[in-house]
Amino acid sequence: MSLFWIVIRQLAEIEAMATSKKVITKEEWEKKLNDVKIRKEDMNKLVMNFLVTEGYVDAAEKFRMESGTEPDIDLATITDRMAVKKAVQCGNVEDAIEKVNDLNPEILDTNPQLFFHLQQQRLIELIRNGKVEEALEFAQEELAPRGEENQSFLEELEKTVALLAFEDVSNCPVGELLDISQRLKTASEVNAAILTSQSHEKDPKLPSLLKMLIWAQNQLDEKAAYPRINDLSTATLEDPAI
Amino acid sequence: MPTSATASSSYRRATPDLLVRLGSTDTEVKLRALREVKNQIIGNRTKKLSFLKLGAVPAVADALAQAQAQAQAQDQAELLVQSAAVLGSFACGFDAGVRAVLDAGAFPNLINLLSYPDEKVVDAGARSLRMIYQSKLAPKYDFLKEKSLGFLLSLLNSKNETVTGLGASIIIHSCETVAEQNALCHPGVLKKLNSLLEGSSSQKDASLESLATIIKNNPEAASKFVSECGRALSSVIDLTKDRYPRTRLLACICLIVIRNTSPCYLQDIGIKTKLVHLLLELLDDPGQLGEDSPFALSSLIAQKEDLQRLAFEANAIDKLYNHLQKDSLHPRRFQGILLVLADLCSKLESCRSRFLSLEMLDLVTHALTHDNADVRAAACICLKSVSRSIKTLSAGRFMNEMIVTQLVQLLHDPSTSVQVAALGAVSNIVVDFATHKSLIVKCGGLKVLVQLSKSMDATLRLNALWALKNLMFLADNVCKEGILLELTIPLLSSLICDPEPSVQEQALALVRNLVDGCINSVEYVFAEDGILLDAIGRQLRSASKAEIGIQGMYVLGNIASGNEFHKEAVMHQLLPQVNDGDRSFILKFLQNNDSQLRTAAIWTIINLTFPSSPGASSRVVKLRNADIVSQLKTMAKDPCVDVQLRVRTALGQL
Repeated sequence: MSLFWIVIRQLAEIEAMATSKKVITKEEWEKKLNDVKIRKEDMNKLVMNFLVTEGYVDAAEKFRMESGTEPDIDLATITDRMAVKKAVQCGNVEDAIEKVNDLNPEILDTNPQLFFHLQQQRLIELIRNGKVEEALEFAQEELAPRGEENQSFLEELEKTVALLAFEDVSNCPVGELLDISQRLKTASEVNAAILTSQSHEKDPKLPSLLKMLIWAQNQLDEKAAYPRINDLSTATLEDPAI
Repeated sequence: MPTSATASSSYRRATPDLLVRLGSTDTEVKLRALREVKNQIIGNRTKKLSFLKLGAVPAVADALAQAQAQAQAQDQAELLVQSAAVLGSFACGFDAGVRAVLDAGAFPNLINLLSYPDEKVVDAGARSLRMIYQSKLAPKYDFLKEKSLGFLLSLLNSKNETVTGLGASIIIHSCETVAEQNALCHPGVLKKLNSLLEGSSSQKDASLESLATIIKNNPEAASKFVSECGRALSSVIDLTKDRYPRTRLLACICLIVIRNTSPCYLQDIGIKTKLVHLLLELLDDPGQLGEDSPFALSSLIAQKEDLQRLAFEANAIDKLYNHLQKDSLHPRRFQGILLVLADLCSKLESCRSRFLSLEMLDLVTHALTHDNADVRAAACICLKSVSRSIKTLSAGRFMNEMIVTQLVQLLHDPSTSVQVAALGAVSNIVVDFATHKSLIVKCGGLKVLVQLSKSMDATLRLNALWALKNLMFLADNVCKEGILLELTIPLLSSLICDPEPSVQEQALALVRNLVDGCINSVEYVFAEDGILLDAIGRQLRSASKAEIGIQGMYVLGNIASGNEFHKEAVMHQLLPQVNDGDRSFILKFLQNNDSQLRTAAIWTIINLTFPSSPGASSRVVKLRNADIVSQLKTMAKDPCVDVQLRVRTALGQL
């Protein structure tokens, strides 16, 4: 986070100085950047946080050995979490539910929305596989009672069942439910719930740090011309446009 | 789309066959059956109920007991974990399930799991117990028993987060009395809870909730926590900035509890403003937090004008208004918002006028007919608050047919709390200076009020009389007669002698308003052989609290302002002929600590001895003989200025 505050401080300094746009050359800028001390351990923690949250267990393990950074979570639980996520991504929702329940029975018992979305995904998979009768029975037995408990669930259920009414589902108003993106959405919802149950933040810190960088640069653009980072993947400093 | 005819049975209903498999001697079969039940019932209330009816809970409890009885073999561990998980799920958010688990005798077996060496078994046991402790039905944990604190500490000090969480749940569920709070103020407990404030987010939440439970209404506990735990208070304050909204809310609630318990803490304006802003912000949360935050806000500002002003300045009324605009408002959220509005409008005229200018009166009137009893009661409380404004009251803003009819309707409500709240609103609204009292009578309100004044429930009697008293206030003779006709003198006399002192007080106040005004009004207390006056005299002789004396003396004072006959009747009550050594009650009242009671007593004497009335001099003699005049003389330097002034007037007439 310290990087962000440094940019903010610079911003404040520049704001105090002049009303006309100040030009900062690449040399000046790099000199200032060199004065900023960032601890390597902090950078490593940031990387580890990303690997753990996103579930790259092998990479996290390697990184731990190479950098000596300890993850803030038991790496074995990542494997379990990834197995659940993968099961949903592949459409094996029932399998995913059982895995979540093995991991921590509390998650689906205390999170009705997530439970409904998983059951809804199960229904979508049945419809995708053309198992119409089974789908109808499943909707009646498992999903209808949830719809009675919650109005917004009922609406979602109606939308899902509507899939059955169309000949060409790829070209119908609710077709996006069959899209792979729906699976990914459900998968990431489960992933987030598992992380939360493990007292871990559900989003990695790195992306929000990059968002802050972009925000800070946009603020700075109004006050000064400076070597901007345009390509985040290479982080090259561009010469200030004058 | 292709169709298929294979109806599968992957989502089975509860079948009796399952019970057989749960009881199987084959570990594999049993384990599979347990997992099957678990995966069926988790997240699914309907399934929980149907498995419950099938008798699955005792079967699972047996499986748990059997697995414990057998040697701790490797495969037993999995049986323990699975059966505990099933029992926990039955107990999760489902009271019938909790009862079944407890009835099946599984509780002690789950406790046993906590001392197993296998971490997974411990975790499963703790998780299920925590589910049980989240229900009101959970057995109360006795903190006062020897060794019980040691067990609790062992839970709190565990490395396993689920076990620590269980310790907190036990505190939150079972700590109710001051003695229990004091027992939990053990340094070990407080220190541990304090250190958990720096733990994981679930530990922070558990600790904040436990602390609030231990400190609530116990100033000693509050000061112990603040003084013995280093920077404990600032840790809690820090958590109001936590990234998780639930933690922020719990930190706010904890601070409010500390503040309401010991007003010496958290007095600076910064923290007060911060709490108001935080809670208003949390109101935007669409889920549980948004429902809880208005209740927290209400407890923060209730009865505290400075905080109400801060909330008003933070635009609270407008923000609440925006929330009320949304459709399909959750009842609990609706109730909470109405209660906050009631608190805001309870003292500050600025809040009431903002409320009225946003036309929120219609919204609240509408809520009087809500399906949910809590919402109806809250709407009444809100109306009561807003109608404390004399300005709007005299403008007759509350006397529209809509509000009155619905309030009268609510006097019949099946819920007592709604009836009491409606009586509160009616009480305020009938204090109307114009001719609108008839409206409430026309709506049938009078009949219900009289009915309720006969209720078995003392709170209902009290509030019904309160409303009748206010209806009687400054009413014209026609109105007074109407009320008395409905109420009847015998009923009123018996209410004056009600077992409940607060009811006696209101009944006397009602009579005070009845005999107030023109001289004809005084005649009412002499009707039916003067049973009303006798009841008043009897009550004054045995008055248990000053408030009763005050109301009673004002009644006598009002009567004494009448003609000779009236004055003599009062004398008769004050000085019963045969003096059997008992001092007259008026002497006791003149010596009472309550200055209002002294004032009321002197007023009566002033009215009795008013010089232009023919019998005044003989009454003065009687009062002198009863030592009342000498008592008055000692009161010339009374600490209360009002009393001094009246004493001077009285002595001038003697």
